[in-house]
Amino acid sequence: MFKFIKQYAENISGVDIYPLISLLIFFTFFIVLLVLVKKMKKERIEILSNLPLENEELPNSTL
Amino acid sequence: MQVEKFYYDNRVVKNFAYATILWGAVGMLAGLYIALQLVFPALNITQYGSFGRLRPLHTNAVIFAFVGNGIFMGVYYSLQRLCKARMFSDKLSTIHFWGWQLIIVAAAITLPLGLTQGAEYAELIWPIDVAITIIWVVFGWNMFGTIIKRREKHLYVAIWFYIATFVTVAVLHIVRSGQLPYSFLHSYSWYSGVQDALVQWWYGHNAVAFFLTTPYLGLMYYFMPKAANRPVYSYRLSIIHFWSLIFLYIWAGPHHLLYTSLPNWAQSLGVVFSVMLIFPSWGGMINGLLTLRGAWDRVRDDVILKFMVVAVTAYGMATFEGPMLSLKSVSAISHYTDWIVAHVHVGALGWNGMLTFGVLYWLIPRIFKTNLYSKKLAANHFWLATLGILFYAIPMYWAGIQQSLMWKQFTEAGQLKYTFLETVTYMKPFYAMRSLGGVLYLTGVFIMFYNIYKTVKSGKLVANEEAEAAPLVKEYVKHTGEHWHRVIERKPIQFMILSLVVILIGGAIELIPTFMIKSNVPTISSVKPYTPLELQGRDIYVREGCYVCHSQMIRPFRSETERYGEYSKAGEFVYDKPFQWGSKRTGPDLAREGTGNLKKSDGWHFRHFREPSSMSEGSIMPSYPFLIDQSIDTSLTAAKINAMRSLGVPYEKGYEKFANQELMTQANSIRINLKMEGIEVPANREVIALIAYMQRLGKDISNNKTATFNK
Repeated sequence: MFKFIKQYAENISGVDIYPLISLLIFFTFFIVLLVLVKKMKKERIEILSNLPLENEELPNSTL
Repeated sequence: MQVEKFYYDNRVVKNFAYATILWGAVGMLAGLYIALQLVFPALNITQYGSFGRLRPLHTNAVIFAFVGNGIFMGVYYSLQRLCKARMFSDKLSTIHFWGWQLIIVAAAITLPLGLTQGAEYAELIWPIDVAITIIWVVFGWNMFGTIIKRREKHLYVAIWFYIATFVTVAVLHIVRSGQLPYSFLHSYSWYSGVQDALVQWWYGHNAVAFFLTTPYLGLMYYFMPKAANRPVYSYRLSIIHFWSLIFLYIWAGPHHLLYTSLPNWAQSLGVVFSVMLIFPSWGGMINGLLTLRGAWDRVRDDVILKFMVVAVTAYGMATFEGPMLSLKSVSAISHYTDWIVAHVHVGALGWNGMLTFGVLYWLIPRIFKTNLYSKKLAANHFWLATLGILFYAIPMYWAGIQQSLMWKQFTEAGQLKYTFLETVTYMKPFYAMRSLGGVLYLTGVFIMFYNIYKTVKSGKLVANEEAEAAPLVKEYVKHTGEHWHRVIERKPIQFMILSLVVILIGGAIELIPTFMIKSNVPTISSVKPYTPLELQGRDIYVREGCYVCHSQMIRPFRSETERYGEYSKAGEFVYDKPFQWGSKRTGPDLAREGTGNLKKSDGWHFRHFREPSSMSEGSIMPSYPFLIDQSIDTSLTAAKINAMRSLGVPYEKGYEKFANQELMTQANSIRINLKMEGIEVPANREVIALIAYMQRLGKDISNNKTATFNK
């Protein structure tokens, strides 16, 4: 099977670079994301994470 | 600043909630029924009720009707509140609701009629695909309209998940639905063989990702803090969770095709990204569970939190298992077995089901301004559902592993120890136990039905819920050095485009080279297009949903080549539209059914279709007596040949004119064969076409061994 697959994989120029490129793209993406998130201000985070809980009318039913 | 008064639309939320419950019950009932069919094949009543047609009904109902309506219920409730705005247009909400229900009804009618595209979770025929596209756009329009006219500056993380869901499902649906119609109800896939397989599982896996997962994560990020009454554990983690999840998910599809004829590099890509997926998935699970930090004591007596905790735990289990199953060595054991069935049900019953129930119990009393009718009944529901999942999953895990071991077991003399049929009959008790799990789970749903009915009766719908908020003022001052995510969080359209780019990277890198391969596939010279009769037979194979239980893809393992013959080659499938590799072996592989020691006489096939257990004692395959009574629809032969030719199958020009003539000649020769075996049947019957297709399977390669194996 591998002989078979290799044959047409070889026919796409430089197919072996694809997985490497994709891994590199993700790695860069992830590191940039991590840095940016790390730099977010604490107060902002506080506001954002409280968004669903704002203006909550007290429910008359809690289980 | 002057605060504005406005009203949340609760009516549409209520409608979607009712639809969720109704279709949930229908879809699960269908699931229970087909589970019982595997134990009692006599339950395959008429052609409209046979397993191959009802199984797509079950999967489509659960995914698109139950979870689909669940998504819309949750989105319409939370989006309005997070945006501090009513939905953009009541009219669009109404069109969306009724349009979606009509699509479901159309699916429920067409699937039992055997109208299908023959691709898992994308079975619906092309007119329904068009309707889905329109309604999906209506949903997106309504959602973006609401986001744009919102009164809250920032888009909470749940909304990102909704946006990513919208845009990705749109891309997936359009690419997967690529097909050429040849009648109002029928079409052939644009893609064939290997390419069709890659598109299918790129779609199939991302249907799991972007229909069953991302929107529900959005719901988790909204409803879990609500139910626990505390903010999400880490908002930073949620940002990382979101972006890395949508980035990685889109690549993972090929793990459904390990050891198949898919190019190796694509398989490796799928494996690597599937394994990496565990990190964002578990990041999300941990974020969900830790939201309950300091409130765990409440889980003891708050049934809603109980449902949510089990849901998120099931999400964690399924997303741990997924990457493990994606490893080639694990896939070698698990693929085609009931293990996969167990895996998806942990996801569907656990993650989607339990979260839906939690949201329903939380939301219904609120929009009806009342209390839940009975906490006790809800608690009973919780325990029945949890036990149901266990009773379902454990026998299926056991069965799956056992099945795989039996398939691979050799005797000391080096021969396969078990016939396929022996492995099937061994499964029956497990199938029965699994049905019991289904009964428990479904009983819970009926209890919920009653509980919610009583709750609704005791209250009154607040169709328009009053709210107040200050309008959003346009900020003309641009803050320099403003945080990037802060900017993007305010701009839904840019946000959507960014998500689109992120998901397109993976899709493009994976799909484009595979399509480039098209010209490079070493066409096996002996592989010829199907004869008109075989083509008709193949379409009957697709119509009856044979692919639901039979694979046509022999993997390169000794245990498979011994049982089924030479492993499958990519070049063999170039005329297969749609591909029929299958994903489950409830019955044996059929890729080489017409060759070698698998070959049977026409008469054997005839008797087997009429009553499978008469030829294979203990078989659980449905009987197909109606194929003997129904005539082949030759009126469509010419249209089929023309459509196939447009899609690149080399039928000569003008061939469609005498295709039916050739069809009858071939059919007559089968009729004569049958007569010699003592069976009298007219040549124009569907069973003849299906026999012709069966006898063709695998023949191309065995006809010309040298051409195939001199590579």
